[in-house]
Amino acid sequence: MKRIAVVTTIYRYLTHAQHFADRFLVGYPKEGNWHRPNMRVVSMFVDQKPEGNQSEDRAREFGFTVYPTIAETLRCGGENIAVDAVLLIGEHGDYPHNEMSQVLYPRYEFFKECVKVFEEDGKSVPIFNDKHLSYSFEKAKEMVNDGYRLNFGVLAGSSLPVTWRLPDVDLSLGCELEDALMVGVGGSDPMDYHALEAMQCMVERRKGGETGVAAVQLIDGEEVWKLGEKGRWSMELLEAALSRSDTPCGLTDEDGRTQDMIRNGEIYRLVDNPAAYFIEYNDGFKATLLMINGAIRDYCFAAKLKGEPLPVSTQFFLTPTPNVTYSACLVSKIEELFETGVAPYPAERTLLVSGTLENCLLSRHRGHVRLETPHLNVEYSAPTESQHAQR
Amino acid sequence: MEKRLKIAAIATIYHKYSHAQHIVDRFLEGYGWNSRHHYPPMDLVSLYVEQVKDNDISSDRLERFPTMKGFPTIAEALTLGGEELAVDGILLIGEHGEYPSNDKGQRLYPRYEHYMQMVEVFKRSGRGVPVFNDKHLSWNWEWAREMYDISQSMDFAFMAGSSLPVTWRTPSIDMPLNVSISEAVCVGYGGVDSYDFHALETLQCMVERREGGESGVKWLQAYRGDAFWNAHHSELWSRELFESALCRSHTLTPSRPGFNNPFPTLDEMKEIVKDPIAYQYEHNDGLKSTMILMNGLVQDFNFAAYIGTEKDILSTQMYLPMPPARTTLANFFSPLVNNIEQMFLTGKATYPVERTLLTTGLVAAGVDSLHEGGVLQETPHLDISYQPTEESTFWRT
Repeated sequence: MKRIAVVTTIYRYLTHAQHFADRFLVGYPKEGNWHRPNMRVVSMFVDQKPEGNQSEDRAREFGFTVYPTIAETLRCGGENIAVDAVLLIGEHGDYPHNEMSQVLYPRYEFFKECVKVFEEDGKSVPIFNDKHLSYSFEKAKEMVNDGYRLNFGVLAGSSLPVTWRLPDVDLSLGCELEDALMVGVGGSDPMDYHALEAMQCMVERRKGGETGVAAVQLIDGEEVWKLGEKGRWSMELLEAALSRSDTPCGLTDEDGRTQDMIRNGEIYRLVDNPAAYFIEYNDGFKATLLMINGAIRDYCFAAKLKGEPLPVSTQFFLTPTPNVTYSACLVSKIEELFETGVAPYPAERTLLVSGTLENCLLSRHRGHVRLETPHLNVEYSAPTESQHAQR
Repeated sequence: MEKRLKIAAIATIYHKYSHAQHIVDRFLEGYGWNSRHHYPPMDLVSLYVEQVKDNDISSDRLERFPTMKGFPTIAEALTLGGEELAVDGILLIGEHGEYPSNDKGQRLYPRYEHYMQMVEVFKRSGRGVPVFNDKHLSWNWEWAREMYDISQSMDFAFMAGSSLPVTWRTPSIDMPLNVSISEAVCVGYGGVDSYDFHALETLQCMVERREGGESGVKWLQAYRGDAFWNAHHSELWSRELFESALCRSHTLTPSRPGFNNPFPTLDEMKEIVKDPIAYQYEHNDGLKSTMILMNGLVQDFNFAAYIGTEKDILSTQMYLPMPPARTTLANFFSPLVNNIEQMFLTGKATYPVERTLLTTGLVAAGVDSLHEGGVLQETPHLDISYQPTEESTFWRT
């Protein structure tokens, strides 16, 4: 039975640590069964323990130890590494922001402490890193490189790429993609990250594979709509993405009606401060994320395929709170990493998205300038098999 | 230019989140479909609303969509004020509104009464047009049967039922055609004579695809409260299928504080579900199906069945994006309206109304069994056999 160490910022009800680690403790729904991983959480590190901290209760009930340092957690209080995998969850908790409004979660620092143990003890184990690798691309890159240098599996990212889709579609591998657009909502930087990664897990399947990002630009305010009229992003794809939304606001909130939000103009009225994240890839492909707070409340994607009359579109289904069964979809991928040592999809996706987001936020910080990003030359191939929930 | 079809809507009431609002609005305002905001290629020209109360929004719709006229009677809505039938398709939406209940707890929606007024116009005009009847045909089995028989004898396309058979599924799978099924279970939620119907349609749209097609139902027995738990203990229905269905839920009530998604023990379920209900019934070919309402434990509809010779489990959730808690739009009405549109355009129902005739009879038998304290109801009148559509009709594009 694999022995798991949990390294986290905070363990309270409805935090990411509680969602993910609990599934290793009490099981989770998978393919129509209640699946109980053949693994055991043996140790835990929790950085912050404010009121509501559950780590001690969980340790007592499920028979593991909460250690004061990450090194002790990985060594289970002994001399050498004594776990087979690390679940690293640096999300939630009270951490400072930088001037680009990024939350400075200590994911890199936690990861490097694990790596230090790996190096000192001469043994490496797989690490799952929740969400983006780091707010800093340089740090993120070092994390992914550590995996190659010390030969351990690294999986990272959001639940969105692996959750259910409505409809259940994926882009075929090697498809000729002409344009892509994602709509998302929520704050920056937590929620734009999810939306960017959802978009990336689709566009990485284009012909030639992922080539990296050449330049980014973040525009916000009314200018976003003007750029749509000018064709900088596609109105047709916005319509396609909105056609998948179950949560139009405004008039729908008022009397339940369906809405053609572009033609009735409501989208322009409802969105307080639209933001467009323009991403130019090294192979010339372009994609856009529109954050449209106020218009809808879900995450939808649309793309134009060469020769297809209609766009392909889908909703990344964020299943209801508190079950958030989409996190069960991700835990099953984490389990696969822990079981086989091999990440079911490349951490380069998350690396590229981490860097893309950082540079979009930098673009905004520098007055919405277009930033060339030669350092984001992250190349990788998408997984052959679709990885989202289908069974 | 091809003539656009004229559609009439006959509704009990038209307020926010009423079925009439969900359905009629999609004809008027369009809806998201296959990457477009789709406008049905037909005109809703007449509207009859039986109850206009403070929460009415039909007046707003009539004002904003002048092609649609309001009429004070069903006959006028169908004749557009003339003598003869003047529309090409009819929506009968007898759900919501203030109507009395009988001593068995059935809400006496006037679906049959509205239908018969419509038939009167058909008879007078010497022809019928395609009709969609929302939900079950009638609370009264005899009336439901009469509605079906009239549609057969007058030979007009007739479609009815719930959104459950046509909505998204997670996973997006259908029952393989002509597979053998040895047992089926649906675990859902909601009240008697309302959501039990949705759960029965969920079951039926899957099991009707089995080897030989639907053969009709011999008997039904309802279980409630302690009788339910006793039946559950003695495995009158498969515990494995019951649990498999629960494992498809996205809304499993946490049985322990501080945990967001644990699987409840049986004792915990008993704490959470104060009034469990099951309708178990045997089909004429021997298949046993069980519909279970677990109010408090889940807020979605989940299906599981043993299929094939190896008794593999096939399970899925029929997903309802249900407002207002989770969404703003009840988009499960979009595939329903799309199927109705197809019927109006082609003159053919896209799936058999016999399904809804059967589930209508099953609801009535379930209500009777509950009313009689769980007495088994022989159902020779539910000797309704039919074949499913070859193609799947649920939402997957």
